[in-house]
Order: sequence, then structure tokens, then C-alpha cells
Amino acid sequence: METSDPMGTTTVLRTPAEETLLKRYPAEKASLPGAPAVASLRDGAFAAFEKVGLPHRRVEAWKYTDLRANLRTIAAPAGAPDHGRVQALPPAVPGDGARRIVVANGRVLADLSDLAGLEPGVSVRSLADALTHADAAVLAALEPIAEAADNVALAVNTAFMSDGVVVTIADGVRLERPIEIAHVTDGETAAATAVRNLVMVGAGATATVIETVESTSAAAHQSNIVTMMVVGDGAAVDHIRLQLEPFEAVSLTTLTVSIGANARFETFNAALGAGLARAQVFARFTGAAATGAFRGATLLSGRRHADTTLVVTHDAEGCESRELYKAVVDDEAKSVFQGRINVPAHAQKTDARMMTASLLLSDGAEAYAKPELEIFADDVQCGHGATCGALDDDLLFYMLARGISKTEAEKLLIIAYLGEAIDEVHNEAVREMLIHRIEAWLGKRVG
Amino acid sequence: MLQIKNLHARIGDREILKGLDLTVNAGEIHAIMGPNGAGKSTLSYILAGKDDYEVTEGEVLLNGVNILEMEPNERATAGLFLAFQYPIEIPGVASMTFLRAALNAHRKARGEGEISTPDFMRVIKETSAKLNISTEMLKRPVNVGFSGGEKKRNEVMQMALLQPSIAILDETDSGLDIDALKVVSDGVNALRSPERSFVVITHYQRLLNYIVPDFVHVLSDGRIVASGGKELALELEKNGYAGFVQDAA
Ligand SMILES: Nc1ncnc2c1ncn2[C@@H]1O[C@H](COP(=O)(O)OP(=O)(O)OP(=O)(O)O)[C@@H](O)[C@H]1O
Ligand SMILES: [Mg+2]
Repeated sequence: METSDPMGTTTVLRTPAEETLLKRYPAEKASLPGAPAVASLRDGAFAAFEKVGLPHRRVEAWKYTDLRANLRTIAAPAGAPDHGRVQALPPAVPGDGARRIVVANGRVLADLSDLAGLEPGVSVRSLADALTHADAAVLAALEPIAEAADNVALAVNTAFMSDGVVVTIADGVRLERPIEIAHVTDGETAAATAVRNLVMVGAGATATVIETVESTSAAAHQSNIVTMMVVGDGAAVDHIRLQLEPFEAVSLTTLTVSIGANARFETFNAALGAGLARAQVFARFTGAAATGAFRGATLLSGRRHADTTLVVTHDAEGCESRELYKAVVDDEAKSVFQGRINVPAHAQKTDARMMTASLLLSDGAEAYAKPELEIFADDVQCGHGATCGALDDDLLFYMLARGISKTEAEKLLIIAYLGEAIDEVHNEAVREMLIHRIEAWLGKRVG
Repeated sequence: MLQIKNLHARIGDREILKGLDLTVNAGEIHAIMGPNGAGKSTLSYILAGKDDYEVTEGEVLLNGVNILEMEPNERATAGLFLAFQYPIEIPGVASMTFLRAALNAHRKARGEGEISTPDFMRVIKETSAKLNISTEMLKRPVNVGFSGGEKKRNEVMQMALLQPSIAILDETDSGLDIDALKVVSDGVNALRSPERSFVVITHYQRLLNYIVPDFVHVLSDGRIVASGGKELALELEKNGYAGFVQDAA
């Protein structure tokens, strides 16, 4: 609720969701893991949240995704998960051969995680343990990069983070097997979780990290997952996030990454689930001549809302970044893309290309795109584009004229449309799973 | 086979077909010639079911059934095939996926199951070889990066795969080199049968030396204004459309 006073300044009253968060933090902080240093970090983050409250449409970065209006209540903190039910979830990516680490209801479940025979140079730990032991490297790694510093979702996560996975990969280690962090919320009643993962990849190392976000039921779970990655000089890292929750769920995911010199980093976000989802990516090139690719595919139906917000800063010379986000929006769903590329004056020879496209399948579907470039260097190649439209009638007619039904023709065209982004995913099992899910989604479409 | 009766059609408020009559019997080849903009492609699109056009009068019967109420894919599986004047590129859709979907749609309409992979590969190999279409081309998305002539050959290959009962070829000869013209014509002639008819739209009498028509029609200003045997094409080649088109001098 808001009221305006006659002086024209606005007094903002707390929403019920904000009130809940304000009550929860003091009540819970004593039971949250961490040494005193962590407690003061949490306090600082919570104070930052308290000052601004939930972000709303007059905050530029949240213009299209008004949490104050859309988040009516805050779910209770998640209780202990039922290990059996979590274990019974079918693998999200069949055949990916990944080392799977399960984080259920905000807790790393060692008994369900595949921690045996870790490759030399690889360590996987629970964040809660690291916080309790005030591990200096972990505490330092919690500090967000500048792009994410004033992000409210991240601040709330810092205040409430209960656990998560800390992965460290030593210099030069070439990890064949992907690491999969499976985030699961279990339980029949709505539950809130705050998970923080840290992935630190040493110089010259290679790794694939897959994150899945799922629930065991269709309760209105709320998850806030932050993954912070550091990609060492010359390292090659693929990151994939699959949002697969039922449409009752609210999902905030944040990826922050700093990319060292000569490194290659690629991330792909599949926004296939949750009724209200925001996927944030904050990236910074910290060393010269690195390449980064930021891609995603969004599939929306019903009244779902999915927001992709991306900030990439080229803080070094000669880096190349590619941004490609594609959305298919049906019914009365709403897709949002905000992308910003910063090129400060010293980042000469930057090559950055950002593209976003939305395919609207119904008259009620909406797509908002806000691509921005902020360039202060003069010797750069940067571009951006945004398109929005329906399926091409001439393409459809050609296929129909060959006897192919409208449903089948649309399916082939939609898969082709998303394929531009999906085909770039290196992991074959993930690609197959994505096509499979898209086909299933299309199969459920009416008309 | 195909009866077009008093067909009137418009796009926006512009009338393009103005009372067109044409009857094609089983096994016949009809050639349609006529000046640019006469409405030849419009006729072919309306037959295939493109919904940009509004049919204001008349009917089109395929084997006695009015097809104007049918969806384009239903017309196709009922046996009508259009080889497009300008085949479109479909980025991201693999040729093989497309061909297989088209074949399976026809099989489904006949109440048959999906084609097996070995059968599909065999039929593709046979048909593509006849039309000089390399397997390399079929690895690309539909028509993507094909030359003009390759696109036309690909249309004829699709026709050969789908075995329609009536095929409308809209300027399939345009853009073909001399050898390709022969290949395409052989492809069409190989499909000739007493049960199958063709409507061949062309600007060039030369094609009709290869695909010998039973009838030649002149379409001008939305109507068939003259019909005759194959000698009509020779006459047109010599004298142009002047004698048939009122406002051409
Ligand atoms: N979408 C459209 N909007 C407006 N006019 C159109 C449209 N499509 C076709 N026409 C017009 O209808 C007329 C007939 O066009 P059509 O393509 O059928 O001619 P055609 O006989 O096939 O010519 P060509 O020999 O050049 O291929 C032309 O004057 C054309 O400009
Ligand atoms: Mg034409």
C-alpha cells in the first residue's frame, strides 16, 4: 500500500510480504549458520533490504517485474525435506552422467549426493559448514561483484542463506564429468528457501556445472538461489540452469560470474517452470581476451511471468561477449528481457553482440525487451537487437501445403526458433532434454 | 478430377480472379500461360489454400468435393500439390525432418502408420537421385542456401515423394539451366499416369517440348481467355499475347 502526502514525496507502507520478512530475520538469525563475521554480513544485507523494501515498478531494474505487487506473501522457511520423496524425483537430465549434489529445502543432502571418488583437485563442501568454520576464502567469495552489489534479491539471499554447495576446482584440472546441483523444494505447504552456491574454477581448468530447480509438489514454493562463480585465467566453464518447477512456484535465481583473462565462459538459462520467475545474470570480464556467451530460452503459457535480467561489464581489453535470449510466449503470459552491456573507456577492442527475440503465440501474450549498451571506449564493436512477432504465415503455409498439420508445423517452427539458442549448448544430454520438454510443452498447448 | 467454376477472388478490395473456369480430367496435362500479373500464381495459391485471398464467388471441386472449405494440409493429403514459384527457406527446420513430417502426414491421412527409418532413407535416396539432389543438400535446413534452380528441383522431389493426384507447377522451369530443365521434366514425366493430372504454369514454350500438354490455356486479367492444343503455345511464342489481351497493343 502506498499513500502520497501533499508535499509530493511518497511514503511507502510495508506490504504484508515485507512485514513478514522484517519479522522473520530477527527471529531466525540466531539459527542461521555462520561465525560472527557471517552474522554481520547478514545484518548488513538485511539492513540494505530494510531500507528499500521489495523492488517495485518504479525501480528501473525491476520495472517489468514488480515484486512488491506480485509477492503477496512470504512462505514459511522450509522444514526438513523427506529424503525418500526427493530421491524419487526422476533425474532432470537423463543420461548427463553428472555428479549430482542435492540441495533440498535449503540443505545439502549428503546421503543423496554423489560425493564418492571426487577427482583430484576437486572439492565439494557444504556452505553451511564453511560459514560455521569462518573459512576465509569462502567469506571473501561471498562478496558480490559490483554489478550485483545493490541487488535486493541477492541481499535477501545473503541475509537468509541456509546452505549451498561450495565447489573448488584446482588450477589445470580438466573435469570430464559435469557437476549437477539439484535444487529441490519438498513439501505440500508453501516453503521459502535461500541457497548460496560458490563455484571457483582455477586457472586453465575446465568444468561444466548444471543447476536444476525443481519441486516435489505443486505448492507455492519460493526459492531464492544465488550462484557465484569465479572463472580463472584460461579456464573453460559451461554453466546451465534449468528452471523446471511447477507453475505455482516463485523463483529468483542469480548468477554472478567474474571471468579471467583468456577464459571461456558460457551460460544457458532454460526458463521452463515457475509462475513468477526472474533469472539474473551479472558478469564481469576481469582479464583480457576472454570470451563469454550468455544465452537462454523461455517458454511461457497461462499467466506465467518470466524475467531475464542481464548485466555484463567488459572490464578488460579485447573480450568478446555474445548474448542471445529467445522466448516463446503463449496465452496471457509475459516475458521480460533486460540486458545491459557496459564497456568502460579502458575496454578497447571489445566485441559484444546482444540479441533478444520473442515469439508471441497468442494475442494476449506480452513481451518486453530492454537491451542497452553503455559504451565509453572508442575502438569497439558492439551491437544489439530485439525482435518480437508471431510465427511467419508464409513458412506455415509452405508446410501446410505439404500436408503437415498446423500443430506439427508450429511445433517444427518453434523448435527451430528456440534451436538457435539451444543448439549452442555443448552438453548433448541437456540439449535432448530441452527438446523433449519443449515438445511436451507444445503437446499440451491448446489450439 | 479438378473443376474450377466461375472463380472470383480478391485480395483487399482488388479483384484478381474474375470468373475463371477450368476443368482438368484424370491423366491430363494442362498448361497455363499468360502475362505477368494475370493471376496465375494467385490461382495456384487459392487452390492450395493460402488464406490471404477471399473467394467471393464460384467453386473448386477436387474429385467432386469442394476444397475451398478445406485447410491447406487437408487439400494436400487429399492429393493436391503445389510446386511454388518462389519456394521459401525455412531456417532451423532440417530438410529430412520436414520431408518425413510431410510423408507421415500423408500416410496418417490414408490410415497408415509412420514410415520406418530404413524405408524413409530408401525412398529419399531413390527420389533425390532422380532429381540430382545431393545428400549434402538434404542435410541443410529446408531450401536454405539452395540456388534458385536447386529450390525448383527440390519442389519436384517433394512432388515425387508425395505422389499427388493433381500437381500444379508454378513456373517450375524458371531459373533452371538447360540440363536441370531436362531433369525436372523427366521427373514430371516419370510421374505421368492415367490417374494423375498436372497444371503447368509457364512463360516458355520450351518447357512444353519436354512436358507435352494436352491443353494450353491463356490466363489474362483473371480469366481463361483462350484454350487450345499444344500448337497454341507455339502461336503465343510467335505472336505474344496481343491477340488475346484486350489492353495489350
Ligand atoms: N498480396 C497481394 N497484395 C496485392 N496485390 C497482389 C497480392 N498478390 C498478388 N497481387 C496482385 O495480383 C495480380 C496477380 O498476381 P499473380 O502473382 O497471380 O500474377 P502471375 O500471373 O502469377 O504473374 P507472374 O507471371 O509475374 O508470375 C498482380 O497484379 C499482383 O500484383
Ligand atoms: Mg506467378
